[in-house]
Amino acid sequence: MGGGAFILIGALVLLLSDDLPFGTLASPGAGMMPKLVIGAMLAFGLILLARARSSPALAAIAWDDFPHAVRLIAITAACIAVYTWLGFIITMSLLLFGLTCVVERKPIISAALFSLGVTGFAYGLFRVALKSPLPQGVLWF
Amino acid sequence: MLCYAFLGCIVGTLVGILPGIGPLAGISILLPVTFGLDATKAIIMLAGIYYGSQYGGSTTSILMRIPGEAASVMTCIDGYAMAQKGRAGAALSIAAVGSFVAGTFGVVMLTLVAPPLAGLALRFGPPEYTALLVLGLVLLAYMSSTSLVRTMLMAAVGLLLGCIGIDVMSGHFRYSFDIKELGDGIGIVPVAVGLFGLGEILSTPSAVVTQKVVSPRLRELLPNSSEWRLSALPIARGSVLGFFVGIVPGSAHIIASFLSYAVEKRVSRTPEAFGHGAVAGVAGPESANNSASTGAFVPMLALGLPTGPVTAVLMAALLIHGIPPGPQLVSEHPDVFWGFIASMYVGNLMLLALNLPLVGLFVSVLRIPYAYLYPLIVMFCIIGVYEVSHSIVDVWIMLIMGAVGYLLRKFDFDPAPLVLGLVIAPTFELSLRQSLVMSGGDWLIFFQRPIAVTLLALCAGLLALAAVALLRKDWRGRLARAQATGEGA
Repeated sequence: MGGGAFILIGALVLLLSDDLPFGTLASPGAGMMPKLVIGAMLAFGLILLARARSSPALAAIAWDDFPHAVRLIAITAACIAVYTWLGFIITMSLLLFGLTCVVERKPIISAALFSLGVTGFAYGLFRVALKSPLPQGVLWF
Repeated sequence: MLCYAFLGCIVGTLVGILPGIGPLAGISILLPVTFGLDATKAIIMLAGIYYGSQYGGSTTSILMRIPGEAASVMTCIDGYAMAQKGRAGAALSIAAVGSFVAGTFGVVMLTLVAPPLAGLALRFGPPEYTALLVLGLVLLAYMSSTSLVRTMLMAAVGLLLGCIGIDVMSGHFRYSFDIKELGDGIGIVPVAVGLFGLGEILSTPSAVVTQKVVSPRLRELLPNSSEWRLSALPIARGSVLGFFVGIVPGSAHIIASFLSYAVEKRVSRTPEAFGHGAVAGVAGPESANNSASTGAFVPMLALGLPTGPVTAVLMAALLIHGIPPGPQLVSEHPDVFWGFIASMYVGNLMLLALNLPLVGLFVSVLRIPYAYLYPLIVMFCIIGVYEVSHSIVDVWIMLIMGAVGYLLRKFDFDPAPLVLGLVIAPTFELSLRQSLVMSGGDWLIFFQRPIAVTLLALCAGLLALAAVALLRKDWRGRLARAQATGEGA
């Protein structure tokens, strides 16, 4: 499975490298290094594919943590999408609340207090103490 | 300077203690915080986090049987068994003293070995550097805990990611898809934070992290005379072994601790005590892992060759501050080099003084429920990555890399070589192309220069050894299958 995936990725990147000149050995072009590396990737992928029997079967991999991972990625992705638009305080409060209340199913009140408290502390630390330019967003904080 | 070493040690200890945040994630997340500092202070603080985490990792291993980071796995076995027998304090003391002795030994060796090695490396031209980087990759694959092919595949992916952005020699845009932020290439910080910080969190649902902690009493902290006696030689052996394993690319500190445990069990008069609270099972691996962490700085500082993902990120930190690590570091930036070494002497002393009296405080940190801890880490990952270049594209890269890291773990791929490949990609490509240009396109240039040909011969030897081992394993597997079929029939 792993070997096949890397062969597919390698082939796709090779297609995308069409416009990159390989050059000559005396004058290597921008495409030389990527194409050499893709060649190596395809070769290692093929070896893995050939030795697939010695790897654990796909069905043997435990996926019980997958729903947790998907929820976490979805909430984080939503927050990244609005980070520069809504600004640090609103986005981070929503992120922490989402993760503690929605993913971890903690009580709403404690999740809300935790989110606001931690975001306030982080804002004070990074923005006020360390003078880091955090995104301000439409509401200027 | 001392203040930054102190801060690094404290943060490093916390990073080592908390399950789910390894030294790499800790350093990556905190890297942007050092941007306001000068290079010497930044590297002192980041290195403090690194060796502090090696100290801290032993605390969770001994008190909770959860390794704070991978190198502490061996300490879990006998450290936790000692804690169960009421000797948690003694185990923590032995781990701290062993770490101190080994860390100091490692720094002394680093002081003695790095400058002459850097002097030798000044003779290196592009062909030698190309050969050295190839040797680094092959050694990494050879020493890796996963298979050689998987490691090389990961390194190739890292090298490919390193090709993204403007080609420095021709000005061509490579794989940037009209995203202007990708013109500068993919940063090491979003990749490292994603793969190791977020990836680790995605693989660790809060339900599997338990907070059952053995709390040692302060008066029980000192080992008795018999425990001191039993730990002396394992500490000495672990220090020497760890340093030399640490110089070799790969997950050296992890290998060093496993190797030390095996050595101690082999030389022990009571091997049956291992697994049931043997003092040597704590003293040896803890010393080896700390000494290896220091040993890993030798190739990084003297040759500019990162031997693992942590040294790769530390190297990136120096580069961000405009200081290229490598042979010229000692002569052109002696303040950074010697300031860094001096901080390590002091840092080890600080960690010894801090770790034992503050063990109660660190234990209380362990009681924070993981369900509240990891959202905090996700927030710091986003802040840290955004702070590097104030680019939301980098934050997206971090998230994608987090998902990639999760999948790689599922399919038993070690993400560390990917980061290493990404770090060395620009130097590797530049030295390879420079070598070809200066030889007029003649590949034989790598075989006509003594240093380059020696390094490549070493690569060939290692690959041959690995191939023989692989064939032997295959042959044994076939033999076992044939025997099983014969018996079945």
